[in-house]
Amino acid sequence: MSKRKFVVKSGMIDLINFAKMIPERKAHLENGPLRRVPATYPINELAKLNHPGKMELCVSDIIVHSEDVKSYILKAENSNKKLAPFRAGQYLTVQLKIGNSLVTRPYSIASTPNDARKGFYNITVKRVPDGFVSGYILDNIKIGDKITAFSPEGTFVYEPIRDAKTVVGIAGGSGITPFLSLAGSIADGTCDADLVLLYGARTSKDLVFKAELDELGKNDKITVVYVLSDSKEKGYEKGFITAELIQKYAPETYSIFLCGPKAMYEFAGKEIEKLNIRKKFVRFELFTSASKASQIPGFPMDKDGLTFELTVRQFGKEKKITCLSNESILVALERAGIEAPARCRSGECGFCRSKLVSGDVFVPSNTDGRRIADIKFGYIHPCSTYPMSDIVIKID
Amino acid sequence: MSKWDAIVIGAGNGGLSAATTFAQAGKKTLLLEKHNVPGGFATSFRRGRFEFEASLHELCSFGSVPGMGNVRRIFEELGVYDKVEWCRIPDAYRMITLKDPENYDVTMPFGVAAFIDKMEQYVPGSRPSMTKLFALGEKMRDTGEFFGNIKGFDGKLVMDILQDHTDFIRVASYSSNEILKAVGVPKKARDIFNAYWCYLGEDTDTLSFVHYMGMVERYLSTGAVCAKGRSHEMSCAFQERFEELGGTVYFNSFVDRIVMKNGRAIGVHIAGRDEIEFADCIVCNSSPHNAIGKMIDPKDLPEMAVRKTNARKFAGRGFTMFLGLDKSPEELGVTNHCYMIYDTADTVYQRKSMNTIEGNNAQATCCLNLAVPGCSPEGTTIMYFTTLYTEDCWSKVKEEDYVKTKEYVANKMIDNFEKATGAKIRDAIEEIEIATPATYARYTDAPQGTIYGYNSEPWDGIVPRILMTGSDDLIPGLYFAGGYGTQLLGFGSAYTSGYQVANRIMKKQEKGERI
Ligand SMILES: Cc1cc2nc3c(=O)[nH]c(=O)nc-3n(C[C@H](O)[C@H](O)[C@H](O)COP(=O)(O)OP(=O)(O)OC[C@H]3O[C@@H](n4cnc5c(N)ncnc54)[C@H](O)[C@@H]3O)c2cc1C
Ligand code: FES
Repeated sequence: MSKRKFVVKSGMIDLINFAKMIPERKAHLENGPLRRVPATYPINELAKLNHPGKMELCVSDIIVHSEDVKSYILKAENSNKKLAPFRAGQYLTVQLKIGNSLVTRPYSIASTPNDARKGFYNITVKRVPDGFVSGYILDNIKIGDKITAFSPEGTFVYEPIRDAKTVVGIAGGSGITPFLSLAGSIADGTCDADLVLLYGARTSKDLVFKAELDELGKNDKITVVYVLSDSKEKGYEKGFITAELIQKYAPETYSIFLCGPKAMYEFAGKEIEKLNIRKKFVRFELFTSASKASQIPGFPMDKDGLTFELTVRQFGKEKKITCLSNESILVALERAGIEAPARCRSGECGFCRSKLVSGDVFVPSNTDGRRIADIKFGYIHPCSTYPMSDIVIKID
Repeated sequence: MSKWDAIVIGAGNGGLSAATTFAQAGKKTLLLEKHNVPGGFATSFRRGRFEFEASLHELCSFGSVPGMGNVRRIFEELGVYDKVEWCRIPDAYRMITLKDPENYDVTMPFGVAAFIDKMEQYVPGSRPSMTKLFALGEKMRDTGEFFGNIKGFDGKLVMDILQDHTDFIRVASYSSNEILKAVGVPKKARDIFNAYWCYLGEDTDTLSFVHYMGMVERYLSTGAVCAKGRSHEMSCAFQERFEELGGTVYFNSFVDRIVMKNGRAIGVHIAGRDEIEFADCIVCNSSPHNAIGKMIDPKDLPEMAVRKTNARKFAGRGFTMFLGLDKSPEELGVTNHCYMIYDTADTVYQRKSMNTIEGNNAQATCCLNLAVPGCSPEGTTIMYFTTLYTEDCWSKVKEEDYVKTKEYVANKMIDNFEKATGAKIRDAIEEIEIATPATYARYTDAPQGTIYGYNSEPWDGIVPRILMTGSDDLIPGLYFAGGYGTQLLGFGSAYTSGYQVANRIMKKQEKGERI
């Protein structure tokens, strides 16, 4: 065959067909319709609705649960604008200017996806002692204030294809918020799951949203169990959320979703281990705010309390600031008023990914959410990385 | 005068290779990316204890020397090859049909001889025609390599083609099936041979033979690879190389306007920033539809740029389900790296069915562990399931039905996979993520969530596109790289197109022509 010429139709026709290709294409192109090329498409608009990036919101109402816990009803500043839809369990990241600092904090959305369709989100903020942002919000934000937030993110959501039919929710403190959303969406029929909620608090007074939860608990698909650690009260479980307690209320197969402060996380984590259930049936949301890095296992103690120089490159410009070995690099950036990308602040989402140009850092292994190639090519997630020497990073 | 010799909009595969090609030639280059990672679709993401490959099934044209594929040569020439840890793909594909009267379940190996042998087993008597077909394919490859190495377009090119590539000329205007029939390949062997068609998104009655054969031949003769650190590793490697060569990258930089002066593109504006970045030339890795439709002021657009853009038709809109499973491939019964699962081997029927969400039962499914052992923790598996929609059917999905629709397709893919292979995966799902056309639209701003650039319409196939390379330019000073270019879709094509366009521009400059 290599010697003989290959012919498809006939030598002549093949050549003619070949010769026709360019003029034919030229004609098609030049006769394309003369109308405006679309600037966007329905699918792209749906994508923008789902992920608008920055959202300008305003506080339309504040519900005071106590001095230390308040709910903020957020609406779009421009009332013609739809809010980004979300899935129960996701969070908003609010961005605030406090003094010279430009900070972000994630807050789970306590209201339901249907509420967002109706035009509002509810985030509930609990005071963290010595916290920087929670206290500021609680003491300063008023009705009518504008709030900048980033579109809903997060993977702490019920996935019917993956999860068991029943979710055993373990909540403590402000960790109740994603479950309130989940319960609400089960009650309104948007989510097809059963929920057994084990909600831990010190005393019944510390139970936020108790009235709402009691109401939701009347639904066949929702069971709410309050677990009080510090007081014995009628109608409540007393103690901590243990393996036995989970077994007492859970059906045969279930997915555990856990969200709460660090202490609960550590305690319940051990209890869950005793249950010996597959990883696929256990999901956590890291809710804890930044504690002192020197308390993290593996922290090089000889570096405790040191101050270093942090050189920040962004869009071709350079700035030198200081950073502390005890604070994440993201905090140093925010303290200096630099707008640094961030969402989850717990190493997971990758939004803060930055190039470590030079210097040594400490990356705690339990919050190291980097990709394989990012580690190989020298990238860090500043929200969960601590400086161990003078460092240079590129954050654009 | 300009601040930059070249600005590249978008750090997808085409943008990365264009930018690196410029930088290697000493051009002062600015690469702008709206995301905070390079690569566009060539990326990865983490969920729980898994890191998923976002898009790549396999990269072809990547044989080892000799018979070096041109994509590999580009990686080597640009100094990126050694920065990546490569893994070989074990076998070519397994095609299973769910409703075809022939009930296909065939596994095809790499290597032309092995492929022909296997075909003879499945379709006795197919050997002579298959042998003839691959002999023709080899010539197409030579021509393909020749095209792949074109650094610029001129009249001499046509003469070279006429002289040295006569077989190419004879087949160039025909579809894959026309040539397969002309060569005498039996129906069953055609069905098996055509299985890769969905990688090119067009049925084999329409798809150019040169295009399809070129791809199959490259896969089979040189095998295929992927990067150990997912395609994110390839993207990072490109970026690192670009910066080593003195290039500048800005992430989180969304270009919302191309600045025009006297009919020329002279600079870009980045959303939210004050100054304008000026350059001698601009290479856009985003779709020409975006550049013409929203980045350039309509009053600055020549009529022909509008007509030419409107004439094109989008190719497939992407959908992928990613699964992290808590059992090993053996435990699941997953034995192959790449499964092509269809209702039928009739590509015309099948492609047509892909115009609706309900009708579409085609899927290309990959198990990453079989190409990259150890890519997930011991006793777990990573799989991803991809399909295309040939129409914009997802735009009819209402916001409140969006999540349910995702789940509907995901369930269908799982069921079809289990039915086709007998493997049991549903109960082992530990992580699931679903990307729809809306996800792709968000991720790269691709119109309608297209992942395949412009469709290979009968008049807009690879051959006339390549032959018309220079005359496709729409606006002086503005060029395009990536899946919307001459080489059409695919990783290799996108890398090649960026490399070629940068070289074409520089060649023009050398000759003193206005770019
Ligand atoms: C996914 C997710 C969802 C969450 N949902 C909720 C929720 O629904 N409700 C809720 O109440 N909480 C929620 N949280 C916790 C919440 O995001 C905050 O961590 C919490 O409100 C505490 O913030 P804080 O700033 O008060 O405390 P911290 O984060 O502990 O504040 C101290 C931090 O501020 C830094 N800092 C100190 N001074 C400055 C300065 N001048 N400039 C900049 N930084 C400084 C410190 O170094 C330290 O890191 C959630 C967390 C996550 C990860
Ligand atoms: S903010 Fe999410 S990883 Fe740093």
